[in-house]
Amino acid sequence: MLKLAWRNIWRNKGRSIITIAAVIFCVIFAVILRSFQVGVWENMIHEIVGNNFGYLQVHQEGFWGEQSLDCSIDLLSTDVNPLESVEGVDRLIPRLESFSLLYHGSNTKGALVMGINPATELPGLQLHDVLLEGRSFSYNDSIIVISEGLAQYFKVELGDTLLFMGQGFHGAAAYGAFPIGGIARMTNPELNKQLVLMPLKQAQYMYNCENRATTLVVAIEDGADYTVLSEVLKKATFEALEILEWKELFPEIIQTIEVDMAGGRIFVMILYFIISFVLLGTVITMVAERQREFGILVSIGMRRSTLALVTMLENIILIMGGAILGMAVVKPIQFYFKYNPIDLSGQMKEAIEQYNFEPKLYTTTAFIINLNHGIIIFCIGVLVSLYAVWNIMKLNPIESVRS
Amino acid sequence: MSKAVIEVKGLHKIYEGAVPVKAVNGIDLVISEGEFTALKGPSGCGKTTLLNLLGGLDQPNSGSIIIDDTDITGLSDNELIDFRLHHIGFVFQAYNLIPVLSATENVSFIMLLQNRSKDERMERAHQLLEAVGLAGKEDKRPGELSGGQQQRVAVARALASKPKFVLADEPTANLDSESTSKLLEIMLQLNKQENMTFIFATHDNRVIAKAKRVVGISDGRIVSDTSK
Repeated sequence: MLKLAWRNIWRNKGRSIITIAAVIFCVIFAVILRSFQVGVWENMIHEIVGNNFGYLQVHQEGFWGEQSLDCSIDLLSTDVNPLESVEGVDRLIPRLESFSLLYHGSNTKGALVMGINPATELPGLQLHDVLLEGRSFSYNDSIIVISEGLAQYFKVELGDTLLFMGQGFHGAAAYGAFPIGGIARMTNPELNKQLVLMPLKQAQYMYNCENRATTLVVAIEDGADYTVLSEVLKKATFEALEILEWKELFPEIIQTIEVDMAGGRIFVMILYFIISFVLLGTVITMVAERQREFGILVSIGMRRSTLALVTMLENIILIMGGAILGMAVVKPIQFYFKYNPIDLSGQMKEAIEQYNFEPKLYTTTAFIINLNHGIIIFCIGVLVSLYAVWNIMKLNPIESVRS
Repeated sequence: MSKAVIEVKGLHKIYEGAVPVKAVNGIDLVISEGEFTALKGPSGCGKTTLLNLLGGLDQPNSGSIIIDDTDITGLSDNELIDFRLHHIGFVFQAYNLIPVLSATENVSFIMLLQNRSKDERMERAHQLLEAVGLAGKEDKRPGELSGGQQQRVAVARALASKPKFVLADEPTANLDSESTSKLLEIMLQLNKQENMTFIFATHDNRVIAKAKRVVGISDGRIVSDTSK
């Protein structure tokens, strides 16, 4: 039967090639589309979350909801060693995050102030890669690094001083004046508009939060799975602290991803719809071409179910071949665009930046996407092939032989 | 007296339509083992319909067709397919071989459906192809054979399953004189050697001349039945 199916495939090379090509094209197109979508998100998450905020953060319970320094962690009385010693945790990075009103001349603007120690920070906040001018700071420095957007807003240069006014721990006034030591371009466009980085010690002093941190960012070892780690940390932590995953910290990102993915799914559905008709066309042609032969085979004693099986086998070989080829052919394309992302420009760039994302199109190389679309298109092909089965099951051998 | 292979009693087949057509109108017929019978008559007289009914390809409105003690009019679709596979050989007007299979494979295909061993299939296929004068053409596909040669492969295929009888619908309609006479010679030889029963639907006088029994049909009825 397999031999007969195989030979039938090659009796009409044109039809077989059209079928295989249609499947290959559909798999490639669907995989590229989804790879870009998922790849862009993967990269965004890596850039924004992985390099800046961390996939996991430790907070004093209630801090994330209230965003108040009153819910900060006392580093002297809190023993974080049990958390740091969990396998997969590289280190815990203390940060003091708050808001402040900035003044320079007659200009004012609200800003996110982050007290950090660049030496121990995540890559995005180690500063040397993002500094446009000036220098980073060390633990004992008293300079600040501001984002490019803020520098442009205040029209300030290195050496200029910004005044800070805000609210510190337990309602204390938080004032400060710090010279600008560096200007940085943050990869996250939203942070690039409003971020002020200052030495953790200075931030603690200004906000009256000595030996306190609002956040302990969990730096994860390479290869560790943050979801698994999250569960382990939740068990290792104690009542006053809470472990939050980035999905809980930034639900808006998840919502945006879901909306974007839904849009992508509509495109892919349209593609599936088109490919269904292309494949149906080839199956209808095949059935019409071989109507007489089907009639002969049933007449001489071939059971309809056996004939249907042979015909299905032919289609399965063609569609599976196309799907496998498509999955393989698209792989180098995925790799290429993963390492050579497409730079967006113009309105598209602005639109993407509105969502606080880097305007570059990356692909993902996750094989699951190839596999998923390969399987979906294969299933569509098999479903469409049922037309041939239906035709065989209802054929009248006399009419078919005469056709 | 030879054993009856087919017994037809009171067979009727009416094609419904604006004007119902009585294609087979009360036929009684007995075909015995080893007969070489031609059903003759003008186009539309009902001979192909009768052949289709005998082959279980069509269902009568009434009457019975008993083959090998089985009334095939009461069989289900799958039972009929299996019955055809084991009891009936077919030769069609347009050869109707499987184009992607070689002559040997076309002949042995029906035995494959019967789940016969490869050795048995190959042996019988070669034997039959030799019998129909196609030794040396075993590996040729239908497209590489002439019309006459293809029809001989079709005859070999019809015999491959060792059927009770062979039904041939206008088997010489697409053949030239030389191919026709060669095909008839082969079929007569097989009829003689294997005592195979052949039933033709034809209006080809060359076939009718060679037939041992000629059944004349007109308007769905048997109007003459002569044996030589």
